Amino acid sequence: MDAIHGLLTGFQVALSIQGLLFVFIGVAVGTIIGMIPGLGPITAIAVMIPITYGMSPAIALLLMAGVYYGAAYGGSASSILLNAPGVSESVATTFDGYPLAKQGKAGKALAVAAIGSFIGGTISIILLTFLAPFLSKIAISFGPPEYFALMLLGLTALASLSDGSTIKSLISATIGFMFATVGIDAQTGTPRFTFGNIHLLQGIDFLIIALGLFALAEVASLILNRNEKAIDQSKIGSLKLTKKEYKEVAGTIGRQSLLGFLIGVLPGAGGTIASFLAYLSEKRLSKHPEEFGKGSLRGVAAPETANNAASSGAFVPLLSLGIPGSGSTAVMLGALIVLGVQPGPLLVNEHPDIFWGVIASMYIGNIILLILNLPLIPYISKVLKISKPLLISLIIVFCIIGVYGVSFNVFDLYLLIGFGILGFVMRLIDFPAAPFILAFILGGMMEQSLRQSLTISNGSISIFFTSPVALVFIILSFLSFLIPVIQIIRRNNRANSAISKGA
Amino acid sequence: MFKFKNQKIALVLFLFSLFYLIMSFNLPRYPYVPVDSNFVPIGLGFILMGLSVGLYFVKDKPMNVKDKMNNKIPKQDLFVLLTVTFMVIVYISLIEVLGFILSTAIFVFICSWFLGYKKHVLNLLVSFIFPVAVYYLFTVGLQVQLPKGILPF
Repeated sequence: MDAIHGLLTGFQVALSIQGLLFVFIGVAVGTIIGMIPGLGPITAIAVMIPITYGMSPAIALLLMAGVYYGAAYGGSASSILLNAPGVSESVATTFDGYPLAKQGKAGKALAVAAIGSFIGGTISIILLTFLAPFLSKIAISFGPPEYFALMLLGLTALASLSDGSTIKSLISATIGFMFATVGIDAQTGTPRFTFGNIHLLQGIDFLIIALGLFALAEVASLILNRNEKAIDQSKIGSLKLTKKEYKEVAGTIGRQSLLGFLIGVLPGAGGTIASFLAYLSEKRLSKHPEEFGKGSLRGVAAPETANNAASSGAFVPLLSLGIPGSGSTAVMLGALIVLGVQPGPLLVNEHPDIFWGVIASMYIGNIILLILNLPLIPYISKVLKISKPLLISLIIVFCIIGVYGVSFNVFDLYLLIGFGILGFVMRLIDFPAAPFILAFILGGMMEQSLRQSLTISNGSISIFFTSPVALVFIILSFLSFLIPVIQIIRRNNRANSAISKGA
Repeated sequence: MFKFKNQKIALVLFLFSLFYLIMSFNLPRYPYVPVDSNFVPIGLGFILMGLSVGLYFVKDKPMNVKDKMNNKIPKQDLFVLLTVTFMVIVYISLIEVLGFILSTAIFVFICSWFLGYKKHVLNLLVSFIFPVAVYYLFTVGLQVQLPKGILPF
């Protein structure tokens, strides 16, 4: 009963004229930003944060929910129309989406993507509505050792499950954590790694890192590719699906909504893994696997449904435990904190209005996305035709406003450039940035809970092994630490055997 | 010894972790704190050190020819990147002096021109309308102050 009552209150705000207007703006801006190759939900949320400063939290949440879903959908649109996935979550969409666009059926692919995203997102939010309060009840008994162990698991899981080399992800996470230690230590008041600079005493704002590592680094790659002409996909074709086509994708959407949600709830495994698993499992289930990769609607429906379901599923640990499981939910956490919302097990009891407000915003964001994007997509896709040099300059200006609007401080702008360069170098040498931002955001909390635990136990680490919950999390995270070691050994063995065969 | 890309990166990371560790060990200590402020940094320093040693032994992946990002950047592009970085730095240092509108207008116009935008009239229009619109959106609509600078309005 509580859940329904809470939701109704949430909807009341969301369905006001002001509420609807801001979801609409959020979805539109999110879609446009998400469509620009390389810019995904992380950049979209980070750029929009300064805009929410003067707003009431409830309205700002609606705007953010719109941006989050809009950016995810925008990414799929550029995957389908340009074969240019903006973020790794939409890579699997290109496999069949782009072939469909080449056959002049881009409209159908976009429609399937929108419907799949909508249903996947909605089913996932319904499950979230019931699971998150339940998980909050369990998590309320968690003390510092359990929290520390859980966050450690989140980080190591992201590092070993994310695409690319595990050891590089772990290094990226460790360095992200190191940057979180900059500033005055909350427990002893010691300034750490500030080099005597007063601007660093407060620590580094997460927005500087998010915009630098993601948006500015992407600007650098846009500069490198600025002369590549986009293929003209002015013929989008009909958006309408036939009855047969609806039947074809219905099962896929149903199955992948559930699978995507489950993967999204797991720490570390986000939309990328969900979309690839969805694609592969549908191909295996299909009676005509040979159609996959040549323009199968199911091949578009599967990853799109799953990644949207997963991105809503990722809100379960975020809202009930206060722990983000991926780069984009980490930035969403930062945005919520800026709005004065501290997600965690206490949120549902102490601020039910905000808890249910977030969930209601997600329902509404998802619906507006479907209503707005289906008819408007042919027009929105014109954004892809904006000249790149102009676009690059404007994105740089937005990053600068984003940071300046938080700190009113030129020093932070220089830091932003520094992180932009770091982000670009990390791309060049294949170091993923998502573990970095997640570790940076979790770092402060992890350090606090680690030191609280050790203070409780008087410095003995046995506290992590006497709590069964913490012990399970610690064992799981050590297991994921072992994955890179096993990979290295296997790779070296393979290389050695190849050499000996060659000899 | 440091022939491969991963080995070079490992060396840089190793030196960084060493530097970070030295700084962590030099943090002031307090006698009555059970877990001092240097505890986590020292742990992180050793973890990074261990990981950098691990990275040294990981073989480089073969280059992906299709992906331009993985290859070396041509000198000409590097020049463009450095010039844009320089322009951004100049823009930042002027933002509080000239004000948001003026510095942004100059930056957008010159940067877009430099990157090869040929429609100069349109560029001029965007360069002036965009900062003015953003300035009023933020200062009037959203109550976020941006630097006013030398312009009287």
